[in-house]
Amino acid sequence: MWYRDIHPTDQNLILAADGELSPRRLNRLRKHLSGCWECRVRAQELEGAISEFVHFHRRGLDPLLPPVAGSRASLKTQLNELASSNPTPGTPLLAWRRGLIPAAAIVLALVLASLIVLHQSPRRRQPTMYAASFVPISFPATDLTPGVASSETRDQVCRSNEGKNRDVPAALRRKVFALYGMPGADPKSYEVDYLITPALGGADDIGNLWPQSYSATIWNARVKDALEDRLHELVCRGDVELPTAQREISTDWIAAYKKYFHTDKPVN
Amino acid sequence: MMFMTDRSPESALRLSVQGQIEATRKSPSSPLVEEVVSLFDQLRDRLLRYVISFGLPVQDGEDIVQEVFLALFGHLQLGRSRRNLRAWTFRVAHNQALKRRSQARIGAQQIMDDSALSMELALDTNPRPEDQAASSQRRQRVLAVVRALPEQDRRCLILRAEGLRYREIAEVLDISLGAVSLSLERSLTRLTRAAQW
Repeated sequence: MWYRDIHPTDQNLILAADGELSPRRLNRLRKHLSGCWECRVRAQELEGAISEFVHFHRRGLDPLLPPVAGSRASLKTQLNELASSNPTPGTPLLAWRRGLIPAAAIVLALVLASLIVLHQSPRRRQPTMYAASFVPISFPATDLTPGVASSETRDQVCRSNEGKNRDVPAALRRKVFALYGMPGADPKSYEVDYLITPALGGADDIGNLWPQSYSATIWNARVKDALEDRLHELVCRGDVELPTAQREISTDWIAAYKKYFHTDKPVN
Repeated sequence: MMFMTDRSPESALRLSVQGQIEATRKSPSSPLVEEVVSLFDQLRDRLLRYVISFGLPVQDGEDIVQEVFLALFGHLQLGRSRRNLRAWTFRVAHNQALKRRSQARIGAQQIMDDSALSMELALDTNPRPEDQAASSQRRQRVLAVVRALPEQDRRCLILRAEGLRYREIAEVLDISLGAVSLSLERSLTRLTRAAQW
């Protein structure tokens, strides 16, 4: 392809530098380079550009990275919680090897049960795969929990003396966990939360409920509770329209928190 | 975990983190947890650099990286494919970063400014003032080229800088191998041209 006066393109020189050329083509290129100063210089220029970019990229961002110990410990704690609340085996093969056939049977039964539950809910698109792999941390799965508002008006919402988050019945809570593929989740670690709180006209609908961690990240259930209080106050004072509050809390509650608390981090 | 009310939030946070570190040292974990934590150790810095290169705050980046590894745990727990987990984690991180960026409604200009800012922060270890000036000029040139790159070319370049192979980059960005190769050629040709100014 490239002999004597036919020089390799930049693309081929980069492919060679990146180890992406086939051995045959790499051999040919090396032969060409051994006899061509011009191409050797060009290859060095490209290598120089790569090393300069990598240098600035790393040196620019590395000072911004926080120490790994805290996030590593937090991850390990959450993983241990997940492992103990939903101890499914790593692979079917390992399960057989370790004699975990009964556990595999339970998992299979749970999967089948969630398939049936999901099949009965026509508005959820292909939820099985999504639900089974989705771990809600700061946001719900939009397919499963788009947020549902009732037809209550601002006056009705503000007149109501009802607590901001009604207790979710245990059966509904279990259904939510099953829908999210977390049937064994520890109720003490998660609040089954209304995405649009009833205090803002949120409906008692499974499409408005999701399991939110109390502690997984700084953007947890307690922080969202504070936002709900603030929005309720602003709506009832007439500073924010009820549909606006409903839309903001259901699309990106963290952005809403930052907006209404004027901060980038949760206020203690 | 309960804290005394007279503690500052910072000291409470430190205690919380310290407590978690101690707890994880003491308690034995399942092999799958250990495997995921080991992958976290290998990939955390690369993923975090990649995610914050979208112009997201570092705290958001940390949240995304945590979510990636929790999702990875779920993925492996279900016995799903273990083929190229490095590309898998980058793909999930990429999608999460895009989602978070669009939720935060960060404009393209701000992202460029943030990338620029991060590069501006690069420490200059050259002891001589004339070397520092030359290094600063080179940095400005690199910066100008990176700023002007189309989003996909910038993503390819950063992913390659984070050590991903072409097929992995193609998988993360959902483009062809040929597109990765052409994209890197475009970027590096521009960078070499800038070096000759």
